[in-house]
Amino acid sequence: MSENRKKILDMLANKKISVDEANRLLNALEAERSDSEDTPKAEAGRKTSAKYLRVTVLPDPASENSQNVDRVNIRVPMSLIRAGMKLTSLIPPAARDKVNGALQEKGIDFDVNSVKPDDIEGLIGALSDLEVDVVSSKGEKVKVFVE
Amino acid sequence: MSWPPMLMHVKVRGEDTNFGLWLPLFLLWPIVLAVLIILSPLVLAAVLVLWPGGWGRWSLRVLRDSLRVLCAMRGLRVDVRERRQCVYISVV
Repeated sequence: MSENRKKILDMLANKKISVDEANRLLNALEAERSDSEDTPKAEAGRKTSAKYLRVTVLPDPASENSQNVDRVNIRVPMSLIRAGMKLTSLIPPAARDKVNGALQEKGIDFDVNSVKPDDIEGLIGALSDLEVDVVSSKGEKVKVFVE
Repeated sequence: MSWPPMLMHVKVRGEDTNFGLWLPLFLLWPIVLAVLIILSPLVLAAVLVLWPGGWGRWSLRVLRDSLRVLCAMRGLRVDVRERRQCVYISVV
């Protein structure tokens, strides 16, 4: 049994996650395993090469309103995201409960206590696949990607 | 090992304001280091007092991770422009 699988089952046994959540995590783990078996070297290379998270808002050249659009160009080092997320794992238990409560109020069923350092690494690794490309009717072209 | 940021470039352009600054952060670090060394006995005493409650270890980890965040800021760049205003921040 793999380490991650064991962790998920432990969390389920300790009632930190529900059966549905455990099922979803196990499925995700299985999918990740099959992906990594396909091209492990390419995957590893891509994850290590990702250095920055970029957020850009640029005018869409095809739009008539392109002159009035604000321009945003943000570059966040992946190491800063990693360090910041590790810092959030140090939130005191009392504050975590408040965060969980606030998330529940917003309709987000997420337990901050269940986030472990290994999960953070996995999450940041998965960011390498992130790509958001939105063109709004106002003539804005929003892009979120990793480079 | 990653080093803390050495320079910060701040540029603000508006209708009334227009300035650009290169902040030499590398001049700040020796001063911060000296202050930390001076305060280290107090920090150690606080950690020892907090240790039985489990908060000593936590405070040390917060210190370590805060330093990591600071060091990881190299390469951060924020550039926001609208028609009449512009803000540019770059950490080198």
